[in-house]
Amino acid sequence: MKKTLALVLAAMMMLSLLAIPALAEDQVLKIVTWDATTTPYLDAQKAAFEASHPGVTIEYIDVASQDFFVKTTTMLEGGDKSDIFMVKEVPDLINWVAQGFAAPLNECVAASNYDLAGFAGTEQNYAVDGELYAIPFRSDFWVLFYNKDLFDAAQVEYPTNDITWDAYAELAKKLADPEKDIYGTYYHTWLSAVANWTVADAKNTLADGEYSDLLYFYKLYQDLEDAGACPAFAEQKAANLHYKSSFYKGNIAMLPMGYWFVSSLINDMASGECTPFNWGIVSVPHLDGVPAGSSFGNLTGAMINAKSENKDLAWEYISWLGGEEGSAATASTGTRPALATDSVVSVLASVEGFPADDNSKAALKPVFVGMEWPVVDKVNDIKSIVNEVHTQIMTRELTPEEGVEEMNERVGDLFK
Amino acid sequence: MTTAARTEESPAARRSRRRKTLVAYSFLAPNFLGFAIFTLVPVLLAVALSFFEWNGGDISRIRFVGFDNYANIFNVSKVAEKGIGYFFNRVDLGIAMKNTVFYTVVTVPLTIACALALAMLLNKVRGAVVLRAVFFFPYVASMVAICVCWSFMLMKNGPINQMLMALGVNYNKSWTADSTMAIWSIILVSVWRNMGYYMVIYLAALQGVPRELLEAATVDGAGRWKQFIHVTLPQLRPTTFFVSVMMVISCFKIYDVVAIMTDGGPGRATKMLVTYIYDEAFAKIRYGQASAIAMILLIIVLAVTIIQFRSEKKFSAD
Amino acid sequence: MEQAFHTKAIHRDNPAAHRILKAVVYILLLAMAFFTLIPFAWMLFSSFKLEREVFSYPMTWLPETWHWENYSLIWQKVSLLTYFKNTAFIAVVVTFLQTLTSSFAAYAFAKLEFRGRDALFLAYIGTIAIPWQAYMLPQFIMMRSIGLYDTLWAMVVLQAFSAFGVFLMRQFYRGIPTDLCEAARLDGLSEYGIWVRIMLPLSKAAIATLVIFTFVNTWNDFMGPMIYLTRDENKTIQVGLRRFIQQYSADYHLIMAASLCSLVPVSIVFFCLQRYFIEGIATSGLKG
Repeated sequence: MKKTLALVLAAMMMLSLLAIPALAEDQVLKIVTWDATTTPYLDAQKAAFEASHPGVTIEYIDVASQDFFVKTTTMLEGGDKSDIFMVKEVPDLINWVAQGFAAPLNECVAASNYDLAGFAGTEQNYAVDGELYAIPFRSDFWVLFYNKDLFDAAQVEYPTNDITWDAYAELAKKLADPEKDIYGTYYHTWLSAVANWTVADAKNTLADGEYSDLLYFYKLYQDLEDAGACPAFAEQKAANLHYKSSFYKGNIAMLPMGYWFVSSLINDMASGECTPFNWGIVSVPHLDGVPAGSSFGNLTGAMINAKSENKDLAWEYISWLGGEEGSAATASTGTRPALATDSVVSVLASVEGFPADDNSKAALKPVFVGMEWPVVDKVNDIKSIVNEVHTQIMTRELTPEEGVEEMNERVGDLFK
Repeated sequence: MTTAARTEESPAARRSRRRKTLVAYSFLAPNFLGFAIFTLVPVLLAVALSFFEWNGGDISRIRFVGFDNYANIFNVSKVAEKGIGYFFNRVDLGIAMKNTVFYTVVTVPLTIACALALAMLLNKVRGAVVLRAVFFFPYVASMVAICVCWSFMLMKNGPINQMLMALGVNYNKSWTADSTMAIWSIILVSVWRNMGYYMVIYLAALQGVPRELLEAATVDGAGRWKQFIHVTLPQLRPTTFFVSVMMVISCFKIYDVVAIMTDGGPGRATKMLVTYIYDEAFAKIRYGQASAIAMILLIIVLAVTIIQFRSEKKFSAD
Repeated sequence: MEQAFHTKAIHRDNPAAHRILKAVVYILLLAMAFFTLIPFAWMLFSSFKLEREVFSYPMTWLPETWHWENYSLIWQKVSLLTYFKNTAFIAVVVTFLQTLTSSFAAYAFAKLEFRGRDALFLAYIGTIAIPWQAYMLPQFIMMRSIGLYDTLWAMVVLQAFSAFGVFLMRQFYRGIPTDLCEAARLDGLSEYGIWVRIMLPLSKAAIATLVIFTFVNTWNDFMGPMIYLTRDENKTIQVGLRRFIQQYSADYHLIMAASLCSLVPVSIVFFCLQRYFIEGIATSGLKG
């Protein structure tokens, strides 16, 4: 017995010795990002930058996407010296700026004569009091993915770039087939998947303190769930399902999702991760009175850590990333760069694996993209309230009416 | 036991005593330093922090706010307006308290019953060593692995529902997705995991039940049930007391199972005190408020422990 | 205890009744064993299935064909080895420090007399009742400010100085006759000598218990690593596994395979040393 104990402990000891980390090399740029191993554009960006900048190595520090903000904020608070932090959502950056974690960029922009015009004003989302704190490199807006094979099998016309939400609901119900475990549509568990559509009218935002505009979308969702046209929210939440895995299964007819999913879809079909099927994209449905092709979206950017010891190189990287070359690398994987040059759309449409139909190409040009979250005072507090109540509505702890009232009341309380 | 200095002590004796104390401190030092820095100091800081507002960033942002954090988590103004029902149904803290107490009140007796039953059964048979290891195994098995396995088994099309269906019970939902069943699935996993551990303690305690007492009862003609109720159970009372104190404390600390299986959901149906602390502290970065909730947890646990000790004393005095 | 009224006792010498009772006991025990083991069995079988087989209806226990490649797949998808190494490192260092410092301190509490001993011991015991979650936040802020966030050493100092170890060892040392120490003192041994030559050799069983306890607890710790460890290369098996689950949420078969792998090391330790483990709980539990 004693021998076994000794043996086991010795084996563990040996293993633990192996855990000593390797020494770092010179000129390493440390970039904190999420899902580094499964995000194709990160590989493309790294390869392109290292090729044009010999002697520089990019090292991604991978943080789980589910708790990206929590973990990165903790790192920053602890005085982490990683050079660049990717900005997953605009409010995250605003929070970091408030805490003094982000290095101001106006001086760099001026010194290097950096041209911001290509971002068409979107970079202003990253500005606080006129000072820029991050450079956007990816701009996503939501589109409607659909599985052509399921539409063909059900002998239903494909959706077009101009359908209303009511028409979409009709379609979803038509395609659903509980017998065969086929769902007409699919809502991921995020707030944005259900409620963010309201900002596509260019008037509403999710932080305006008035939420009656969400009612329509909650009722639309509950109607679909009751009809068995989409998987139940509570089930999905319980299973903690990634929308990827669900759509890959091939039993989801439609999926409103961010444009970034195109890249994963193309890649995973090519690699065999996902059994290929025919798919396409169209503009998301719209409300009556809102122009077709309106959507909402989000920016992804990169900021320089105020504690970075390598700020020059870091600026070199993020300015490259947002510029022509970086954008080309990003676009080559089917991801939509923030730099909106004329060539971008054609590059995206010509990526191998992108659907060949005209509607899919046309869907690449939205007429309006509202911001998922606007930059306003207390946006993080508002966000957490709206998210909490959203979950309560989705699990039917509250009716949509009660939920909206609760949102109005609690957000209102914030500004008393 | 006491080392109180005596007045007639000689200088030599005093010197030797002082040296003895130094030696003793040198034995204590390595552990005590770690213990003091990483446990005692944080405990004191936690109390202090609950009276400050600090939403992350530099320590210079900290601000004394008195009892504001407590007023906030209890949502005093709203509760005063809408009544206590509002607190337990709508306020995060009320919901977390309600869930945690419910979980504890169900889990503790259920685990004790299972553990005791297992111990009584095992006490009687050969081959007990193997079975003992089997029952104990869930306790050492990795938390994440077993929780994810259970949540799969409790899914809509999972084996548990299918077995239930074979028995004529048609429950066509994932347990963790249903706001009434979610907490039961957590209770199920907790009981399943811990019963073996407490069984071992009961098994050891059963060895301590005097044979003469049991035999005397048999001679008196007591049935096995009566014997169990009138002899075994009273003899096991100190163990049951110990086990229940330990278990109540650990139930109030429930986090792992919830975090892995339901993440506090659906909605807030399985939000517990500790998941609430975690959210406030690490997801919302409201250090002061998180510390105030932590103090509530601390007060509840200490109060429960003291009450249990008191009632045990009263019991033994009877 | 007056049981004079009971006349219908099961007679001890009635062999038939006795045998039936035995059978019932065994059946109940086997049913409970089945209930206990079923998740492990399901995990094992599912880990060899195809993804679509896991939740097939009607359910099947055994896979159609045994897909051994699931196990090679997970080693490509997730850095299990890194997680194992990190966990082993933490577990070994914590176990070593914990055992050493607490047996040292326990000796002082059990066999030495000094001012403030009882008060100090009470402080130790008191903190056992204080939930870690009540003070984890200030502790976390402290650790972060000294640069221990996202390092394995954070996990080490977090767990190496627990009051529980001191308590356990002290209980054991109190059972060792004080005369032994006195005799050794007369022979001119210093207190340190007594600890090395007498206490340590005599307390092997207690040390074994503490070692296994600490090891298993460290190995299975979830919340600590969840809070402290961020980078993939620093993750322990528990949080690493959770990461994998989040990333490949619908690959049920792979999740089960990875889960099973995470069980292996701790199961080996347990089944080799379960006697110490169980006896340790029995003794420490009873003396509480």
